[in-house]
Formats: sequence, C-alpha cells, structure tokens
Amino acid sequence: MKGPLIPNEIWTPEMGLVFALVAGLLFGFFLERAGFGSARKLTAMFYFQDFAVLRVMFTAVVVAMVGLLLLGGVGQIDLSIVAIPATYLWPQALGGLLIGLGFVIGGY
Amino acid sequence: MEAKNPAREKAAYWSPYIAGLAIGLTLVLTYYVTGHGIGASGAYTQLAAKLLRLFTPDHAQGNAYLKSYLQLGPLLQSWIAIEMLGVMLGGFLGALTARRWRFQIERGPKIGEGDRLLFALIGGIAVGFGSRLAQGCTSGQALSGGAVLAVGSWLFTLAFFLGGYLFAWLVRREWE
Repeated sequence: MKGPLIPNEIWTPEMGLVFALVAGLLFGFFLERAGFGSARKLTAMFYFQDFAVLRVMFTAVVVAMVGLLLLGGVGQIDLSIVAIPATYLWPQALGGLLIGLGFVIGGY
Repeated sequence: MEAKNPAREKAAYWSPYIAGLAIGLTLVLTYYVTGHGIGASGAYTQLAAKLLRLFTPDHAQGNAYLKSYLQLGPLLQSWIAIEMLGVMLGGFLGALTARRWRFQIERGPKIGEGDRLLFALIGGIAVGFGSRLAQGCTSGQALSGGAVLAVGSWLFTLAFFLGGYLFAWLVRREWE
C-alpha cells in the first residue's frame, strides 16, 4: 500500500477520522509519559533545569524525518504529495516568539 | 509501620529518547496515512469559530478568517478536532495508568493559586494568538513542519526558543 493512504484513495476520509482518534490517543499518551502533562516541566528547560522536553522534541523530529526519508526511499510513501507547511517568515517568527513567551508565562 | 505499596506509587516518566522515538513513529504513521502531520491549535480555532457563530452568527460569518473555518463542516467530521479529542483522552489515560491523575493547580513555590491561574490565562492568550499568526503551534509547526524540513517551521522553532529563553531570563527570580 503506497502512502499517503488517504490522498492516494486507498483509505477513505471516514477511515481517516477513525485514525485521527487513534493518532491522537497515541500522541496524547506518549506526551503524558514524556512529562508534557506538567506545565512546570514544559518550561523548566528555559531555566536550564530539565532538558527532557527539548530531548523529546528533537528526538521525535529526527525520528520522523529519518522515518519519512526511509519510507520515501523504499517507495512506500510519495513524499511529493505530503503537505509541507507554507512559509510566511514574519508571521512565523513573531508567532514563535509569542508562543515561547506564552509558555513561560503559563508555566509558573 | 506501613509497608510501601508499589501499586500506589506514581510511575516514572519515560526516558526522553524513548518517548521521543514513540512520538516520532506516531508522526511517521500519521504522515503515511493522511499525508499531513499532527496539529493541535487548529482544533481550537475551529471550536472558537463555531462557538462564536452560536452567539453572534452575523459577526462570525462576516469575518473572512473565521468564515474559512466555518466552511470546514461539523466539528466531529474534522480530522484535527477528533485528533485533539484523542490527545486529551490519551493524556488522561496516560496519567491514570501512571497514577499521576489528580485535581490540582500545579504551581511553583513563589506564586499563589489565583495568580497562577491568571498567568496561565495570559500565557494561553499569547500562545493562541501566536499559533494563529504562525498557522500552527509547537505540534503543527515545530514537530510536524520540522520533520518535513519546512523553512518557516524551523524559523518558528528558533523564534520559539528565543522567545522562551529571553523571557524566562527576565522572570527567572520569580520562577525558582
């Protein structure tokens, strides 16, 4: 089955909605196990106290990056139709700044 | 003396590398099935647009930005809304099975409960507004966009750390 399954019409959008719940369950469960359920832990990296959140984030990004490249390399996913977020330099820079600030304010 | 009951103790957090591996594989699976990543903030925007339509339909329909979200159909047929429902349920089950689940206002040693909640609200507003500006939050941009090497997503991630570290340095005495 060549991915992505829903854009390739191997799975129906309705199956995608069921998968949404599964993906969310997994994501939420793993985030909790990583300690992201604690607002204090989420902000501890900004005070150089606990870098677990940073390690989790970058491990996940690298695993997903390599995983997608490998799947694409063996022809199991068509990377040309995978959605890539559009680039809006200033809004994304300002949005990132605001979210960093918001994390800190929200993590007392 | 009461014997220690291991069944009542909270489970430890996973190693960040194991948790990161699990999250990364979940993301690969999501891209493989749907062709897009995992988001969070978009679900809240849809919810906000629909709540606003409930109270002031004219205003919600007249706003070009919110209108685009209203055209997406019912909330329970929206991929990201169902995914967020799953995230909440998954987090709840995770906390429950790790015996971490309890009612509490988690806070640092120097802040009262009222202030903690007020700051959480202000912080939430900043995160909400920022995630609409950037078209995504730490899930949709930093994690999902980062994994497909989107330029804007990496700029977002850099700005996120810059904002966090700069602001935390200013308030470091109040946090510890």
